[in-house]
Amino acid sequence: MKRFLLVFTMIILLAGQCFAADLIVFSGAGLMKPMEEMKKNFESTHNVKVDVHYGGSGEIFAQVGAGQPCDVLIPGAEKYTKDALKNGWVIEDTMRPLVLHVPLIAVPKGNPAKIASLEDLARSDVRVSIGDPKAPAIGRVAKQILEKNKLWDKVTPNIKVYAPTVNQLLIYVALKQVDAAIIWGDLVTWAEGKGKLEVVRIPNEKNIIKTIPTAVCTNAPHKDLAMKFNAYIASAEGLKIWERWGFEPCNR
Amino acid sequence: MQSLKDKHRAGKPNAFKVGLIFVSFIITAVLVLAISALFMVPDIKDVWVSLKSEEMIFSLKLSMWTGLLSTALVMVFALPIGYTLSRFQFIGKGFVKTIIDLPVAFPELVLGLCLLLLFGNTFVGNVFKSLGVEFVFTTQGIVAAQFFTALPYACRIMKSTFDYIDPRMEFVSRSLGYSMFETFMNVSLPLARNGILASTVIAFARCIGTFGTVLILAGGTYMKTEVLPITLYLNISYGNMGMALTSGIVLMVVSFAAIYVFERTEVSL
Repeated sequence: MKRFLLVFTMIILLAGQCFAADLIVFSGAGLMKPMEEMKKNFESTHNVKVDVHYGGSGEIFAQVGAGQPCDVLIPGAEKYTKDALKNGWVIEDTMRPLVLHVPLIAVPKGNPAKIASLEDLARSDVRVSIGDPKAPAIGRVAKQILEKNKLWDKVTPNIKVYAPTVNQLLIYVALKQVDAAIIWGDLVTWAEGKGKLEVVRIPNEKNIIKTIPTAVCTNAPHKDLAMKFNAYIASAEGLKIWERWGFEPCNR
Repeated sequence: MQSLKDKHRAGKPNAFKVGLIFVSFIITAVLVLAISALFMVPDIKDVWVSLKSEEMIFSLKLSMWTGLLSTALVMVFALPIGYTLSRFQFIGKGFVKTIIDLPVAFPELVLGLCLLLLFGNTFVGNVFKSLGVEFVFTTQGIVAAQFFTALPYACRIMKSTFDYIDPRMEFVSRSLGYSMFETFMNVSLPLARNGILASTVIAFARCIGTFGTVLILAGGTYMKTEVLPITLYLNISYGNMGMALTSGIVLMVVSFAAIYVFERTEVSL
């Protein structure tokens, strides 16, 4: 009986231990690959435990707003950090542009619908997928790009699905459920490498290129470490990791 | 045996018993707090406005009709499957039982991905397409997703229901000259009434609550394939807590009603 109680308490305590982190980072779900690598490096250099929470940009933005403890906020687009600054949730001096987020058109392997440009998305035989314009950052940007090029009304009938998460876009393209999707370039670099899909670039003048910013939260529970992490991911060493995963550094 | 039991009942409070009851109460208390938080946090006016919003009405209606249709389909299959697994011995029975039960332990997302692969650009998908049924990104897809998610639960309940019905009743019917089919319709089915009710409400609750499978197969598109759990998820990402909490409350009410009816039928899962 006593031993049982002991084991029981141990399990409860251990379960509690697992969730204790020295640093809490909220990151856009699309930044997972480089973020994981930088997290590991940072953990081993500083001998700390970093907890990275991934979510849609709107989602993590709302969570910070709801008062969830967060040290560093890295959403998929600058708009969220600017809004957070307006609301007083992040510290202005710590805001740093990190890398470029370049939208492009992803098509299944072999490009079955022969998509060559944005205009092709308006052809009546094309099945298109974009992110939900209200949920992930890429959804809003995709809508803005189409509007900027006066294609939104012509493309909407072709949009078969507005995906609430970015990862769904990748699955649907890779499985040929749609002929094209507007998605972040960095997200497809690794999938492209595996030969599951191909990319069609959008010319710069027609595109809307976003910057990914980082900032330390005003109410950061671990401010010292947050500052270090914030500086690390913007350092030359950090940018190298971003580049390896297909992101373009801002200062180029 | 009896004396031992009595001793337990009359003796001093047993630490083992008290401990276990304590653990059960702690977890129940946490759950009660969590559930009541869902009802306490939002303000009533916000919930009322959300309930009347176009998006919520769309989602409620879609959830209701897809849920009812899926439940009907689930029951059409769960009855014969439950009866088969309970009464008949045949080659490959273990295999059939394992495969049908599998989705109980399957993450919904994996099930959704499997169905997407199956109904995508494959032979099976094309056969359905030529029949005019499209599952990918459509409301039919929602029904398919809910069907496969809820089916194993309904089959299990139906099997255990038939397991508890004494086969002698059926033998008597057969010995009086009724065919197997007549016996099934006039003896087994009426005796399984409670089990059918239990299985229907659980299937309905599962259908209404299906998220991952619907998200992947039907896409989870705003005001198109948006059922209640999708409304909850979408509105979390929109940062619209009022709508998210309201769909949560509606889902919770459906589950409560289902569990209440289920408990009253006294059927084991």
